[in-house]
This record gives sequence, C-alpha cells and structure tokens, in this order.
Amino acid sequence: MSLIKQKSNWELLKHGLFGENTIFRMAISLCPAIAVTNSLKNGITLGVAVVFVQVMVNVTVSALRNFIHPKIRIPIFMFIIAGYVSIIDMVMAAYAREAYREIGLYIQIIVAFASIFARAEVFASKNRLDKAFFDGLGMGVGFLLAMIVISFFRELLGKGTLFGFPVVAGKPLLIMILPAGGFLAVGLLMGFFNWIDIRFYGGKGASGAA
Amino acid sequence: MRPIDMMKITLNLVIVYVMGGLLIAFVYSKASPVMYRKAQEEKQAALKTMTPEADIIDKLGDWEPHEKHAEYYIAKKCGELKVEMVKDEKTGEEREVKRCLNETEIGYIVESYGKGYSSYINVLVAVDKEYVVQKVNVLHHAETPGLGDEIERDYFLNQFAGKTVEHLVVVKKETKEDIQAITGATISSRAVTEDAVKNAVLMIKGTAQEGSTGHQG
Repeated sequence: MSLIKQKSNWELLKHGLFGENTIFRMAISLCPAIAVTNSLKNGITLGVAVVFVQVMVNVTVSALRNFIHPKIRIPIFMFIIAGYVSIIDMVMAAYAREAYREIGLYIQIIVAFASIFARAEVFASKNRLDKAFFDGLGMGVGFLLAMIVISFFRELLGKGTLFGFPVVAGKPLLIMILPAGGFLAVGLLMGFFNWIDIRFYGGKGASGAA
Repeated sequence: MRPIDMMKITLNLVIVYVMGGLLIAFVYSKASPVMYRKAQEEKQAALKTMTPEADIIDKLGDWEPHEKHAEYYIAKKCGELKVEMVKDEKTGEEREVKRCLNETEIGYIVESYGKGYSSYINVLVAVDKEYVVQKVNVLHHAETPGLGDEIERDYFLNQFAGKTVEHLVVVKKETKEDIQAITGATISSRAVTEDAVKNAVLMIKGTAQEGSTGHQG
C-alpha cells in the first residue's frame, strides 16, 4: 500500500541507529542529552530509560493501531507515553536510587521527548507490531549510543574519570562538564559524524537511507 | 460526528485509561514499599555515619530553615545494650528490639538547609553536648559542577570538626581557626558554613537550653 518499499527489520534498526539518529542526525531531545551527559553513568541511565519507553510505546501503539479512533489518537499516545514513563520512573526510584537522585527529573521529562512521540505518530501507528518493535529499538538504542559517546568524552575531558574512576591525571577541562561543554561536545561530534558520512558514504547517511 | 464514532471514542478512552491505570497501580504497589524502605535505610545510615559511637538516635523535633522541613535528633550511647526478640501480636513475626540501659546523651544531629549559589544545600550537622561541631555531611545540592560541588569533598568538610559557633566563619586565606573558602566557590562555602551549619548549631543550642525536648513552632 505504501509508496516506499517495506523495509526489513535490520534496515529499520540501522535506520534508527545511524540514518536518523535522534541526537546526531535529527538534533532533537538535545536538552536532556546535554543536561545528563556530564557523567557516563547518568548518560547510560537516561539512555536505558529511553530505550524502554520508546520500545514499549511503539509496541503498544502498533498493537492498538486499529482500535484507536483517529480523532483521539494524540491524547491516547500521550497517555501511553506518560504511563510508561511513570512506570520506569517508579522502578528507577526504587531500584536505581543512586542515579535516580541525580537525574530523576530528566526521567520524568521523557514524556515530552519529541523523538518518542514522533515515532508513535509517524511509524508505529501505521505499521505491524514487529516493524514497530524494531523501529523503536533502533531509535532507542541510537539515542543510548549517542548518550554513551557524548558522556564518555565529557566525563573523560571534564573530570578525568570514567564511571567515577580516575583515568587521566592532571587538571581536567572543567568547561566540558558545564552546560557550555555539552553544546561543544554535541556540536563537534555531530560534525565528526557528518564528516564520516560525506567522506565514506557520499553524504547518503551510514545506513544509506538518509 | 456519527453516534457510532462517539461510542467508539468513549470506549477507546475508557479502555485505554483503565488499563493504563491498572498497570501503573500494579507497578506502584510493587515499587513503593521498596522506595520507602530504602529511603528509611539511607536516612538511618546517614545518621549513623554522623555519630558512629552512638547506639540510639531518636528524633527530637522538627524545624524549618528556609521554609523547608528538617528534623533534629538526639544521639545516645548505652551503658549496656540489650537485644531482645519481641513477637508482634498482630502479625506473629519476631523482630529485634534494642533496649538501652544507663543511656547517656552524647550530642545532637541536626538537618539543615543553606541557600547556595544555585540551590538549597541540604546538610546534616553533628554536635556534641557543648555544641561543638563534630561532623558535617552534605546530603543534597545542585551547585555548579566542578566548582560549587567541591563542598562535598572531605578537605572542605573536615575543617568543621571541633569548631564552635564563633569560628563558623568563611575566610579566603589559609586558616586553622575558621573555615577556608573553596577557590571559586565562596558563595557555596558561605552557604554551608554561615547559613546551614551555623543556623543549625544556633537552633539546637536555643532549643536544647530552653527545655529538654521542647518543640519549635
């Protein structure tokens, strides 16, 4: 029915990981990405929460896509997203207290992530369950990978540590763990990935789908 | 809009919201006891590290620094500590009850807040019976990473041990008598020293001298 050829699950996964990576390609959800990436542990915690919410929202929306009346799909998507965010929020508050104390606020803010809502509306509400699952997984893990890369460099340069363990001796570059350093890190990494894209893939995107 | 659409929409909303509500309620019922228990344990552990020699830490009352709720406690040491197993009549479970004989009060622990550079700094202060500061611990804050967050470090907090209230003053040069400011974080250092800790010591001094277990309105 659709004009474009139905993509395989692997293509969907790659698409989310590289071709339409939330941070480096779409440049959305940057606010939490900059706020929590001052340490590797925080970055990974938020990334994992996003993977959970993205996958569960995609699967639920896809499963209910023939049941939801088109006129009220937006409030229902919002409710589904808010529900899963509440769940991951409570689970982390109970079982990952250390990290939750630092980034709890940003877990709740996942409700307003453009990337999650966009995938529910654009993809999951129009596609089969398995396709929606792989799309959500690709998008979520793409976000997680971006968080790992950004927070790796920021913690290493800004504090000279990784996961809180000292790695580099000497005075760290303090600016890297301040908000300004977040913009610097994201901008430089985005430029680096664009350079790779143009140099090796002729500007078509690493997945060949951009 | 046709009546059938109205029906469908109503049904949609009701079913999705009820299902979602049930799911959230289920997770909450599992997670909330764990959350509560861990928060209590963390609080007890935090109090315990404040006065390691105390056997019993009892709540004395509440006070409100910066319109925030905070508690203060009394630390007691037991001449003799008896641990008894008591059977709960309702549940039939056995639990440990510590009984303290010949207890002596060794000091107070006060929770306090100070207005920092970008947040309220939440601290615990332990003082002895002469209101000399024994230990200060930062529980929570959101000061600037790399500058203000140095208030958590031992080199800053260790300065507080043995200070009386007159010496809770921040100075910007090297000092043994007073508290030395952290380079680049004078406001955060002041907030901890002259706001949070000093007010806590003054409060407990006032309250404890007024009456033994008086509450402050």
